[in-house]
Amino acid sequence: MQTDDLIRALAGDIAPVSRSVVERRVLLGIMSGSVITMGWIAFILGFRPDLGQAMHGFSFWMKWAYTGSLGLCAVMATLHLSRPEAGRAEWLWLLVIPIGLLAAVSVGELVRTPPHDWLSLWLGQSWKRCAIYVLLSALPIFVGLLWAFRKLAPTLLRLAGASAGLASGACAATLYGLHCPEASATFVLTWYSLGIGLAALLGACVGPRFMRW
Amino acid sequence: MRASEDQLRIWMIGGLDGDADAHTALLRALVPMLRSFFGRRLRGANDDVEDLVQETLMAIHSRRATYDRDRPFVAWAYAVARYKMIDHFRRSRQTQTIDGLEDILIAEGFEDACSARIDIDRLLGGISAKQAKAIRDTKVEGLSIAEAAQSQGLSETDIKVSVHRGLKALAARMRGAD
Repeated sequence: MQTDDLIRALAGDIAPVSRSVVERRVLLGIMSGSVITMGWIAFILGFRPDLGQAMHGFSFWMKWAYTGSLGLCAVMATLHLSRPEAGRAEWLWLLVIPIGLLAAVSVGELVRTPPHDWLSLWLGQSWKRCAIYVLLSALPIFVGLLWAFRKLAPTLLRLAGASAGLASGACAATLYGLHCPEASATFVLTWYSLGIGLAALLGACVGPRFMRW
Repeated sequence: MRASEDQLRIWMIGGLDGDADAHTALLRALVPMLRSFFGRRLRGANDDVEDLVQETLMAIHSRRATYDRDRPFVAWAYAVARYKMIDHFRRSRQTQTIDGLEDILIAEGFEDACSARIDIDRLLGGISAKQAKAIRDTKVEGLSIAEAAQSQGLSETDIKVSVHRGLKALAARMRGAD
């Protein structure tokens, strides 16, 4: 095709584009995936039986504050990386704040606990399945983000994939908190972070393949 | 005459608001910029250059939502072009070092485009209009000899001779100016 004909064809297909369309698309991808994850947690895993009571306690909100702030940083980084001129990751360095704060809570917890109970604090009841459940919960949200990226323009595909994986992992972990009854900061810092990290690793692996355009 | 950052950005925002004329003007203005961008980096592969120009135009059109109206347009457009070129090299399994976006913007003259433009205009003003047009088309806008000949309704030999004589005249003038 001649370039002039191409231009004529393209200019014939020109719907107005609103300002915040990138943000809305990414949000829509996350929300649609979250609905599926939420269904899985609600109907298959089940909410923790003491959910109503737990919502009045510190540890529940500590977990949400941790995974929620990781998710927020990762979503901001993902939005930044969805534009072609992004030359490096922004926002991700902010992750040190929630990680550092949770590590501080964890140290306080260990100091207050006799050393022979440290292992149970660290492993809880569910360390074997926690990370893998977080990763599985992240999959629908990650797919939602991949869908969102089909109309976006990332140029650092591996980084954009990792960032999208991290965002889906952190959002999934936030929802998983509705099921998981573990209360120790040491547990969350290890096993939640591992699950979220695995989701980021998955994103980094498949990003270059699925985010090409 | 190459469009400025401000002009391109106004057209881009017009296109985003649904103005087909602004969008057409933008895409037309980008064609010579992209031809010279890819032309210099894929020496001698004219079919590939034109493919890449078209692919980039399509990407700029279909991904235009990712342009943030508050940021420079040219940087966004060259970022798309750079990505398409990387993708091209990856598909043809060539290894090639590719400049970063900032180096590209400097190389494409969007740091001090205005002063360079004035120099070219002044120099080309000193030779015959036909020679100046031939040089501008082939050396500045990045058209091939055949395209320049077609657009001016001249033979390819005519263009080649004009470019050759024009460059010779320019060289003579520059020597005289020293």
